[in-house]
Amino acid sequence: MPTVVLMDVSLSMTRPVSLDGSDEFQRKNLAVHGLNMLFEHMASNYRLEFTSLMAFSSLWELLVPFTRDYNALQEALGNLEDYDKTCVEAALNGVSNVVQQEWGSACPCQVVLVTDGSLGIGKGSLRHSLQTQKHRGDDKKFPLPFPFPTKLFIMSVANAEELQMTDAMDNLEELLRLSGGDGQIFTMEGPLCMKSVQAMFGRLIDHAYSPFHAVLHCGNLSSDVQVFPRPEPIVMDEEVEPMPRSVNIDLEIVGFIEIADISSPPVISRHLVLPINVNKEVDEVGTGTTDELEEEPSASQMAGKSPNFCVLLHGSLKVEGMVALVQLGPEWYGMLYSQADSKKKSNLMMSLFEPGPEPLPWLGKITHLGPISEAAENPYGEDDSKSPFPLQPSAKRSYAQNVTVWIKASGLQTDVQKILRNARKLPDKTQTFYKELNRLRKAALAFGFWELLKGVADLLERECTLLPDSAHPDAAFQLSHAAQQLKLASTGDSQYAAFDHNIAPMHTDFSS
Amino acid sequence: MKMFSVAHKTVFVVDHCPYMAESSRQQVECDVLTKSRAQGVIPLAPVSKSLWTCAVECSMEYCRILYDVYPLHKLINYIVSDSEFHILNSWRQEDQSTHELMSALAAVGPPNPREDPECCSILHGLVAAVESLSKITELQHERRTSLMDTAERVANRGRIICLTNAKSDTHVRMLEDCIQETILEQNKLAAGSDRLMAIQQCDLILVHIHPQGEDTLVSDRPKKEISPLLTSEIHCVRAGRHLSTKLNILVQQNFDLASTTITNIPMKEEQHANTSANYDVELLHHRDAHLEFFKSGDLHMAGTSTRENGLKETITLKWCTPRTNSIELHYCTGAYRISPTDVNSRPSSCLTNFLLNGNLSSHDPSGKLPVERAKAQLERHTRYWPMIISQTTIFNMQAVVPLANLIVKETLSEEDVLTCQKTVYNLVDMERKNDPLPISTVGSRGKGPKRDEQYRIMWNELETLVKTHAGATDRHQRVLDCIIACRSKPPEEEERKKRGRKREDREDRTEKNGSKDTDDKSWQESERLKGLVDKEEQESEVIKDSPDSPEPLNKKPRLCTEEVQPPERAKGPVSLLTMWSNRITVANSRKHQEFVGRVSSVNNKFELYQQLKDENGMDVHENGKASR
Repeated sequence: MPTVVLMDVSLSMTRPVSLDGSDEFQRKNLAVHGLNMLFEHMASNYRLEFTSLMAFSSLWELLVPFTRDYNALQEALGNLEDYDKTCVEAALNGVSNVVQQEWGSACPCQVVLVTDGSLGIGKGSLRHSLQTQKHRGDDKKFPLPFPFPTKLFIMSVANAEELQMTDAMDNLEELLRLSGGDGQIFTMEGPLCMKSVQAMFGRLIDHAYSPFHAVLHCGNLSSDVQVFPRPEPIVMDEEVEPMPRSVNIDLEIVGFIEIADISSPPVISRHLVLPINVNKEVDEVGTGTTDELEEEPSASQMAGKSPNFCVLLHGSLKVEGMVALVQLGPEWYGMLYSQADSKKKSNLMMSLFEPGPEPLPWLGKITHLGPISEAAENPYGEDDSKSPFPLQPSAKRSYAQNVTVWIKASGLQTDVQKILRNARKLPDKTQTFYKELNRLRKAALAFGFWELLKGVADLLERECTLLPDSAHPDAAFQLSHAAQQLKLASTGDSQYAAFDHNIAPMHTDFSS
Repeated sequence: MKMFSVAHKTVFVVDHCPYMAESSRQQVECDVLTKSRAQGVIPLAPVSKSLWTCAVECSMEYCRILYDVYPLHKLINYIVSDSEFHILNSWRQEDQSTHELMSALAAVGPPNPREDPECCSILHGLVAAVESLSKITELQHERRTSLMDTAERVANRGRIICLTNAKSDTHVRMLEDCIQETILEQNKLAAGSDRLMAIQQCDLILVHIHPQGEDTLVSDRPKKEISPLLTSEIHCVRAGRHLSTKLNILVQQNFDLASTTITNIPMKEEQHANTSANYDVELLHHRDAHLEFFKSGDLHMAGTSTRENGLKETITLKWCTPRTNSIELHYCTGAYRISPTDVNSRPSSCLTNFLLNGNLSSHDPSGKLPVERAKAQLERHTRYWPMIISQTTIFNMQAVVPLANLIVKETLSEEDVLTCQKTVYNLVDMERKNDPLPISTVGSRGKGPKRDEQYRIMWNELETLVKTHAGATDRHQRVLDCIIACRSKPPEEEERKKRGRKREDREDRTEKNGSKDTDDKSWQESERLKGLVDKEEQESEVIKDSPDSPEPLNKKPRLCTEEVQPPERAKGPVSLLTMWSNRITVANSRKHQEFVGRVSSVNNKFELYQQLKDENGMDVHENGKASR
């Protein structure tokens, strides 16, 4: 998930922080310190994510477009200049443009707004924006909610008491609500100093940027992995199961299945699975210096020397054209597979299925899948020519069982004509004739449509009189027998009108 | 949609009073005469459906769509009302099918026009519907039981769809009041019962059906709250086509459905088999299937169209014949069950038949869950699983395959044991013939280990593999016994020292002096065998510390009798007969008295092959080679 950092560079950010010590800090310095910490954390744990930096006052400026180069981001932080007043609305419009240009409107994005809680005055102030946002035309709509899914984190370089003295807190809360409510407002605790700004950004990191580390197991083989991006907890049914479900940190492979059998299943999210060297990342925060980056390759070279299960798994899945089914938690599964991102490069990925015992109906219950070797006979056939999937549902759907629907007149006409067509080809079509006749009879009885039974009986009797001289003698017997049976059914007499009863062909001397 | 929203329970209450036997006055011509036959034949008079028939077939269509899209957990209870109520099915899953309902409806038959209208009322059915809504369903029961302390999270809501012919607005209000009263009474009853649940919400949809061309005395009314427990909406509809459209809209609204029309599906013409024309098929499905369109704002691209009635929208998609041989994994955000709106039209059935072709049936598992057996199998298969090709010998050898495939099985048959033994004998034979082994020379100086060393590495690895399974069954153990009995043994340290050979000191193979080969091995094994330490501590310790271990503990007691000299120790060419008779001897030896070796052992140790030192000063291995 990409991140936009939106940094307030209005004059109020240059307010000094009262400290006992000698050094005088501005709020801006604190904010920069916090952001440096965030960027360092991301450099070591979220290297693959794109981040951009924007500065705003009454105008906004894109300082660093989306990049993975965290040095560039930190460098830009070091060169911030001071400008006039805060105008949040204009800046949010900027964010909306920048994100949509780069990612469109489907990609979820995190916005980190860093401000001191002094939200401008008069026209252009957040207060003014919020007061007027309901009374505007479509051309000047308030930018929130963004068209893309958003998580808005407001980092306030001020403590909660300060924000509550004015209406700043209320306005920020309203801003969060307008953005869709997904996000949080962070304030400083205690005096404004380096330590408390670190603590605040630490809370942001824990909340939104902590890496997801897990152990991937396959029997006795295992590998430490980072799952990226972090799988978010999900709520299945807020009423019955309000507690969100989280992915286990032990991911257990339960088996392997052909790509053709799992056939592009629906997934709720996709993640890279990256093997990690556990010893390496003891201390992730505050170590992302240039030296560290240079050492990095040697560490990964080291990792490359020891055989890793992820490498084996990825290669095997790729070669075999299979996916691994992995258990993520109680009644929750996903799949591991090789995903090519170019002709030469591919990655081990994990997709999460909808939680539940049977996420893919064509596989049935996951717990009912077992080893092929235990089947009485190979479900794929000796020559791999068949497959046990998709499973047939226990109850057939309407479109798979030749149901009778007469809502449209054409439906009824077709069914009657089908009977007449076969009636004219008796006795060759005796079986089909009675099959169609019984289908019509059943439906007419269920719908209480006795008039139709009489009508079709009349039609059959008429057909009987129209039989050519050359007709087989059996035809006449069958037609009058069928007509008589329909008439009996149309009386509703339980002996003849039972739903499960079928009219059987008349046994004649001609039909042997 | 919440699991226990109003959509969990739907009660159909269909009027079966005498006036429902009236004709809908919509005629259907079912005798379509072809021109050639038309002469002199009087066509059958058109038939017309009764109000009852219209109500039943439209409600069945509602059920059909519902069951197609939600095969589970969206339940229907069908009630018919005349001078009393008739409940045609229950909430149970097995009762949820249109076939069940149609069978029950056939038993009810059409309304009797001669019945006394004074005795008949839709009210009987509506009261029964409320009672039915308070009955617990299987899913509600299951969830309540599993949630235990938080059982109150399982809500009880439901919907009543009443198809009737009401007399007036006042009559409708009376029905609503009556339902409200009944809910309150029923909720009191529910408080003291395990099988009943208080109704928290009931949505009444009353559909007033009247014949074509007749004025209605009942007025439409949108959804309105009668009480916190009851909402009600009134629809007045002419029987026939209008009624079916209305119920089609209702099923979409009630169950969050939406419509997609697949256009330009090529199909062969019935009459002209060589030509094909393009058809459109409309499908209903959960409306989430359209979510991505709305999100991306691409709806105009997909194309929407408003239907004749102005109430229903469908999104049109163009058919694209799938490539059948593609087995790629595509990114998919959703898969949804569908139901064709016009199920038995030819285009619909062509499409569904195309999509349904070929599948197998499912089976019900018994005993341990298959997935647990799958996990157990993975565990067995990974007990010894070298990840680097150059670090394994046996998994590079075709000759080992039969044994390697069998030994990981949970149980072995006699035949399996025999196959494993044959594999071992075959390896012995290879060794006798001095066949080369696929041992990697990467990382080792020179040409790599000598041939006899190679075989020792191979035997050790094989033994390691089989040992991890030996504890499973006696037959697994017998495979291990066979290997131990047949494998070549490393020369004893003593002998080598005595002979002053400059060979690398294999006995001192532990950490400090290990060769590269040994290092890698012990890495592999300690990795692989972590899980087994507890179970087979004694054995795995041997394996871990010394992958080249020549003397597994458990072989000593079996083989060292002075009387019977195991022939294979001579290391010369060993014939199958010799091996076989040895095997038999070994088997027999188990049955008789305690071994001399064990009896005269010191600290449970007894030096074997002492006589060899005297009789044969030559290296057994060299001897073996020389004999070729």
